[in-house]
Amino acid sequence: MYDRIFAGALLLLSGLVAWAALSLDVPFQYEPLGPKAFPVILAVLLAIAALWLMYRPSRNDWHPNAAILAKLAGGLCLMVLYAVLFESAGFILATFVVGSLFSWLFGERPLRAAGYALVMSLGSYFLLKDLLQLNVPAGVLVGG
Amino acid sequence: METLNFLATGFAVALAPMNLMLVLVGCFMGTLIGSLPGIGPINGVAILLPLAYAMGFPPESALILLAGVYYGAEYGGRISSILLNVPGDAGAIMTTLDGYPMSKRGEGGRALALSAVSSFAGSMGALLMMVASAPLLSQFAIQFGPTEYVWLMVFAFTCLATMVGSRPVKTMVGVMIGLLLATVGVDSGTGVLRFTLGIPNFFDGVDFLVVVIGLFAISEVLALLEQWARKDLVITPVGKSFVSLADLLAVKWVVLRSTVIGFLIGVLPGTGASIASAVAYGTEKRIAEGDDDQFGKGDIRGLAAPEAANNASAAGSMVPMLTLGIPGSGTTAILLGALMMFNITPGPLLFEQQPQIAWGLIASMFIGNIALLVMNLPMIGLFVRLLSIRQAYLVPVIVMLTFVGIYSIHGDSFDLFFMVLLGVFGFLLRKLHFSLAPVILGLVLGEVLEENLRRALSISGGDWGILFNGPMAYTLAVATAAALLAPSLWRWYKKSAKNGVKPGASLADSGD
Repeated sequence: MYDRIFAGALLLLSGLVAWAALSLDVPFQYEPLGPKAFPVILAVLLAIAALWLMYRPSRNDWHPNAAILAKLAGGLCLMVLYAVLFESAGFILATFVVGSLFSWLFGERPLRAAGYALVMSLGSYFLLKDLLQLNVPAGVLVGG
Repeated sequence: METLNFLATGFAVALAPMNLMLVLVGCFMGTLIGSLPGIGPINGVAILLPLAYAMGFPPESALILLAGVYYGAEYGGRISSILLNVPGDAGAIMTTLDGYPMSKRGEGGRALALSAVSSFAGSMGALLMMVASAPLLSQFAIQFGPTEYVWLMVFAFTCLATMVGSRPVKTMVGVMIGLLLATVGVDSGTGVLRFTLGIPNFFDGVDFLVVVIGLFAISEVLALLEQWARKDLVITPVGKSFVSLADLLAVKWVVLRSTVIGFLIGVLPGTGASIASAVAYGTEKRIAEGDDDQFGKGDIRGLAAPEAANNASAAGSMVPMLTLGIPGSGTTAILLGALMMFNITPGPLLFEQQPQIAWGLIASMFIGNIALLVMNLPMIGLFVRLLSIRQAYLVPVIVMLTFVGIYSIHGDSFDLFFMVLLGVFGFLLRKLHFSLAPVILGLVLGEVLEENLRRALSISGGDWGILFNGPMAYTLAVATAAALLAPSLWRWYKKSAKNGVKPGASLADSGD
């Protein structure tokens, strides 16, 4: 079932790609093929594969229950939150918040999770910033 | 003799203090990453790649580090296979068959030591074959024109589709998605913007690192989250047993055969360690027929064969990457992408124009393998203890490393969001049994494929007949057709043979 839905999305995608490629405005071109042909070929092949998949889908063996879906959604929200906070709140704060929530999500007790995340975020900040000299956003705590 | 000179140059590069340190660090981290259940070589290399890039290493050093992680992880994968019955990566699946029964009957130490020695022998044998064959292959490949390259890539994709993953059509979809991702951005021929959706971050193309980390590492975090509900794993004790000389002598031919098999399968574009170890295991079982009742119950031959083969295939898959610019496995596709980020195009000219990279890498692999053997015999207890690290502590670190790595490339939060989005997409692909390696292979080769196709048609003035011009193009076309038909012929042959021996378990989703 999921296979069919996915194949339908792929079919739509291949149509969009072909349409977008064919409507490209190419002002000049020195070679016979140009920028349109390759994406169109790919779109056609993708469409064929999608149709085949729709005709003969695999049996679906993924049956997540509500608890698992909630966990997945939680993890996803955390990662989006991390992406939001990473620059605006800075590495230390963002890593502390998201790290402790992740640790908690994987079954650690809240206090210990927070403690672990605090050590991890502070330790890795100086490790990454000073030792490895990476571009790590300082953010509000260090007065960024 | 010339080869020896080049090899000496390579050792000069690999023995430079910083590179030597990177080999050791890479091998250590690789073993670590490989031994942690769920995080295989491809994730290890993916997570470390942006860090290596951001730290401003010269290309040969970055490659030495990442390659160390790669074959280090092939060593490490066996630890959790043997002690936990959970393969650390796809290439170590076959190792569980005989390794876990051995450790269950109290021979964990013997199994770990024997597999370490087999891994070492497999890698070393494959490296020697690599030294012998890579320069020859690159000499040969210098004559390749655009047509041959188009065919070579089509051949690689065909091998991939027919041998990897749950179904060919799903692999093909993966390749197409990868190739389409590669077309995003400004077209090098005409300067036209393609499929950028008006987002400036895409004008330069989709960032390779963001795709790799998103598809592999982020989707892995989601997968770990999903599996987490299961009970805690029980580590069987290592015990005091150790490998004996008699064991080693008993498996010497097994190791030798498996090394050759692993190397050849590794060289074949697109097929990696999981297939190599399965074929080696199946072959040994067939050779041992009549005396094979211990296979699957803790036979040392069944342990030595897949371990020698998966390490040999890791070295083998470097050969087409370095000489042709066509990666032999998912992980080498990432290494290839890494080289391209440093503006180095692997291919036949690499050995002549930048010998320090090609030979430095090869020499570093010799050093790394010795270091891995040393690390894996006496220090095994350390890695075993690491197996019990709780995911509550591990996952936050993985997530942090991916975010830091991606952010440090452009310093732009957009990449982080795009990475998470790709992670969800990768997770869905996995759940529907699409393997992810084809996507990366398509992404890495997309630009080269299109460029060569357009160049070929420019030469012929738009005549597609050029694709069937010349003996080399014909040979490759025939090889592609053979790769396309071989599995169905094999199945037909097996069905008609009466005592068909199953070559190992099914090769489900392989991530190597």
